[in-house]
Amino acid sequence: MKKLWMICLLLSGLPAFAQQEGVVVTYEKEHFWSKIYDRLTFLSEEERSRIKNTVKNWDQGYKTKGQLFATAAESKYNDMEPEADGGWRGRMSEFMVYRNLDTERKTEIEEFAGKTLVIDDSLKAPSWKVLNKIKEINGYLCMMAEAEDTVRNAKLTAWFANDLAFNAGPERYFGLPGLIMELNVNDGEVVFTAVKVEKKPLNDEAKLPKKIKGKKITTADYDKMLKSYINDSMKSHRNPYWNIRY
Amino acid sequence: MLAAHAQTGGRFTLKGVVADTAGAGLPEATVMLLTPKDSTLVNFGRTTKQGAFEFKGLKRGNYLLKITYVGYLPYQSTVNPNDGDVTDMGNIKMTFMDQNLYEVVVKAFRAPLSIRGDTIEYDPKAFKVPPGANVEDLIRRLPGMQVDQDGSIKAQGETVKRVTVDGKRFFGDDTKAATKNLPAEAISKVQVFNEKTEQARLTGVDDGKHEKTLNLQLKDSHKKGGFGKVAAGIGTEKRLEGKVNYNRFNEKNQFSFIGLGNNTNQGGMSWDDYQDFKGSQSFNWGDDGDFGFNGGMRYISFGGDDESLTIQAGSGAQNRGFNKNWAGGANYNFDTKKTKFNTSYYYNKNTQDLDATSRQTNFLTNSAFTKLDTNGRLNSNQNHRGSVRFEKSLDSNNTLVVLSNFRFGNGTADYRSHQEFFRGVQDSTQLSNMSDITNFSDFNSFAIANTAIYRLKFKKKGRNFALSAGYNVNNSEGDVRQRSTNQFFRSSQTEPDSVLNINQTNHTKSLRNQLKSSALFTEPLSKKFVLETFYNFSLKSDEVDRDVFDNNEGGPVRNLNLSRYYTNNTTFHRGGTSLRYSYNGLNLLGGIGLQQIHMDGKFAVNQDDPTRTRVDRRFTNWVPNVSLNYNLKNNRYLYGGYNFSVQEPNIRDLQPIVDNSNPLYITMGNPNLSPTKSHSFNIGYNHFNATKFTQMFFGAYFNKYKDQIIYSQTVDENLVTRTMPTNISGGRNFNIYGHYGFPIVKTKSNLSLNVGYNNGKNLTFINGELNDTKSNGYNGGLRLDLTPSDKFTIYANANWNVSDTRYSLSSAQNQKIVNSFYGAEMNIKLPKDIYFNSRFNYNRYVNDRFGFNQDMPILNLSIYKTMLKSKKGEIRLSAFDLFNKNRGISQSAYQNFVSQEQVRTLARYFMLSFAYNMRGMSHSVRRKGGGF
Repeated sequence: MKKLWMICLLLSGLPAFAQQEGVVVTYEKEHFWSKIYDRLTFLSEEERSRIKNTVKNWDQGYKTKGQLFATAAESKYNDMEPEADGGWRGRMSEFMVYRNLDTERKTEIEEFAGKTLVIDDSLKAPSWKVLNKIKEINGYLCMMAEAEDTVRNAKLTAWFANDLAFNAGPERYFGLPGLIMELNVNDGEVVFTAVKVEKKPLNDEAKLPKKIKGKKITTADYDKMLKSYINDSMKSHRNPYWNIRY
Repeated sequence: MLAAHAQTGGRFTLKGVVADTAGAGLPEATVMLLTPKDSTLVNFGRTTKQGAFEFKGLKRGNYLLKITYVGYLPYQSTVNPNDGDVTDMGNIKMTFMDQNLYEVVVKAFRAPLSIRGDTIEYDPKAFKVPPGANVEDLIRRLPGMQVDQDGSIKAQGETVKRVTVDGKRFFGDDTKAATKNLPAEAISKVQVFNEKTEQARLTGVDDGKHEKTLNLQLKDSHKKGGFGKVAAGIGTEKRLEGKVNYNRFNEKNQFSFIGLGNNTNQGGMSWDDYQDFKGSQSFNWGDDGDFGFNGGMRYISFGGDDESLTIQAGSGAQNRGFNKNWAGGANYNFDTKKTKFNTSYYYNKNTQDLDATSRQTNFLTNSAFTKLDTNGRLNSNQNHRGSVRFEKSLDSNNTLVVLSNFRFGNGTADYRSHQEFFRGVQDSTQLSNMSDITNFSDFNSFAIANTAIYRLKFKKKGRNFALSAGYNVNNSEGDVRQRSTNQFFRSSQTEPDSVLNINQTNHTKSLRNQLKSSALFTEPLSKKFVLETFYNFSLKSDEVDRDVFDNNEGGPVRNLNLSRYYTNNTTFHRGGTSLRYSYNGLNLLGGIGLQQIHMDGKFAVNQDDPTRTRVDRRFTNWVPNVSLNYNLKNNRYLYGGYNFSVQEPNIRDLQPIVDNSNPLYITMGNPNLSPTKSHSFNIGYNHFNATKFTQMFFGAYFNKYKDQIIYSQTVDENLVTRTMPTNISGGRNFNIYGHYGFPIVKTKSNLSLNVGYNNGKNLTFINGELNDTKSNGYNGGLRLDLTPSDKFTIYANANWNVSDTRYSLSSAQNQKIVNSFYGAEMNIKLPKDIYFNSRFNYNRYVNDRFGFNQDMPILNLSIYKTMLKSKKGEIRLSAFDLFNKNRGISQSAYQNFVSQEQVRTLARYFMLSFAYNMRGMSHSVRRKGGGF
């Protein structure tokens, strides 16, 4: 009986229902490579400081952009095609993160080591610690929260806006009462900043795309793969961070 | 309205109402439940329209309740649930945040503000103070704070009674002592809070009175530092080496110096030294003002030689003769986001003592001759190099780069040689000529290159413009004294038939001025297509004055055959356009240009000579260009291209003048030369598998020449060679190579293989007949890296080069040269920070045709120990070339000759050295380099 009622409601309210209150966020992602080199334990102090010294003027942050569509229950994040500036253009690797807070499921597509992986698993938020620090980002008052990425062995610092009641953020980051406006990995190795926030009703921009191709893998297996890749690379004196999403 | 549904016995419900100071409910406030231990977020939700919240089914235990609402200070309190099912927090009153403070700190300065109960913390980074400012200057800028004329501080209108540094009192109660004496740069945080009065603290009775206290937190480390290294060694055979470098930097400035000296063939700066010396200005993108078909890419140019204007690094070990090297310099960088400035000075001096013996057989039509040469050289040269580079971002779309490099150099060269020429391929019978040569030269030179590059980005993304201008000067002057005795043997092997003595002095002065300019315009046609158009202009004017005198008994007499004076202007224009497709890793370019070279030269015996020979040549050519760069999935990369290039003849080759300064090798110019044109094709593919650690690359290139400038030879019966540059078409070369590397056991052992093949066709005219030299070269190698642990490693490699050369003039002289190289390196880490390194190289040079078979086994050993605090020191004992077998050996076969050379060079010696590195001596049994 209840079900039937639900269907009726769905049908009658379809046009109104299809559109949901949502938000479209553009994130800028900056890589500071000289800080990332600091993590290469196989380099000596001399080598690390030499790299830092040499790349000082180039290391103003290598910038890419991504876009997030979020509603109360769902969110989807994609990389954005870099704008043509008249120069050489590289290839975009495949990447998409979809989260559904109602079903507590996620679907992630990521190209790793030449394979397109599809991680279809339950949703698990990092264990955030909310601290007493506030700052404003792009007109929104944000609070600070910290968490640990145990796979990449990184410290995460997030600034979330209580005014934007969307439990979402850039790439894989979420799990806070408000939208993550800034995310800082390991004290500035990589920094995501929300540069544009647009509140608007969404149709199916935040929904899971129908076309999903790739090798299915669980989160646990993915984490294992990533961990062993980082370990092996370090042991082989190679920088693992060029080839993974950091 | 909140999520948490489970209801079990021990669980409880937490509820409350969030209200403003007047008691009205605050809707949509964020309510968070944290663990009291480490503030871990357990649950969160938002209040209803009335400001109510409720968490159901919470595990029994203490929590931290945190509530935030815009415009209010975050609320925080502990939750100790009562025994019942429901714990009601009642009305929670939020307090306003000081709007003034919030507006100024958070909004205007974008600075994070920390709130700890009643403490407000500022981050001084956000408040700019001039360098050298003290804390008082900093506080003056902090919102809500003021400094009175007498130096007393007020926070939110109240006088600050106490200033502490890192929580400790600084100079008693004098609040000014800290603020006036501490540099603002040293402070990481400024905290203002209310503290109990001294009396309350002493008595333990809180009288409710509070005093404003200011706490200054010091930075852990300032963003400045220095590093340096000093090393010295003393060895047997009078070997010495030493090096010192130091670099001091802060956020904007870097200053460094380096000094080195050695007689161990160590060369100048290594790349590491160079990077430590030049710091942030080691490599700069796009300093080349000659725009062309690659407009989309900017690159760094490396390399150069002793003549180069920029500091040369990485020249590495010298394996020829005995070298003494001295070098030293200083560098200063200033870097901000908008302005970058660099200046450096570098001096180097090299003296080389070189004794060599060589043997060369030249093939002629149906005959051959062989030359034996024993020579000694003593060269000395020194250079002063200076550079200035200035880069300014006028705004985010306009950049200007101005750079100037100069070199001032001088030197001497002393050359003694005894040469014997034999008819045929043997070096014992049929002596034809014998020469003894003594030359001495003394030269100095000055060169400067100035470039300015302006780049403009238009509002339309992808529309770019760049303009460059350059002015270069190259000035050199030198004196050469040439003395030789040349004996010609025809009828007898002991008594010469004729003797030619040469005793000349020549003085040469040359001056080149060059003006250059280039422009580049990039226009995006669509999201994927870009049109690029460029134009290059250059005017090069040369003036050369060469005065040659024969030193006769009666004094010097001008040699009218060899003296000359000429001027030459070379004007170059090139315009071109290309269409580029760039999208998702595929970059494809096709373009065409038109270029014109005009050479206008006037030649005379000397300045006073009214007779001028004129060479006026104009070459116009279309130059097409195609290139492909394809970045494929899975770290695969495909590239290729085609280009057509035109190289104008050297002005010396165009001069219609005979040069017989070497009586056995006479050169003539050819005013009818055309430029060399070449078609070049290349293709390549790379693949790196990131998880399997395999890598593969292969590629091929092909060059075909039209009107190639070659030197045709005529050899007379006295074995005197006359050469003249001539154009010839049909020469070509082809090269293909491949590499594959893979781990045998991941992270423990790696094997890589490489193979290559090259094929060349070189054409020359020998005594009027066309000689077609075909060469086939094969090379292969393998390398095995064993890295089983952090204490032991072995690196082994083997390489083989076979070159097969066939001469159409005389197939009986076909040559096969085989050079093989084997190497092994072992590193062991012993207890007590002692390391052992051994390196063995075995090189083998074989040419069966001449019975040439040389082996060169070289063994180097060293043992070293790190010492001192943080392993900053190292003491090392090394043995070089333990078997005393080092000689510089080389052999090659080209156009119509085959040659072998051996050089006396630095062989066995032992050395004891000590090094101190402020950044710590790093020691690893692993080889440096690889993946970063």
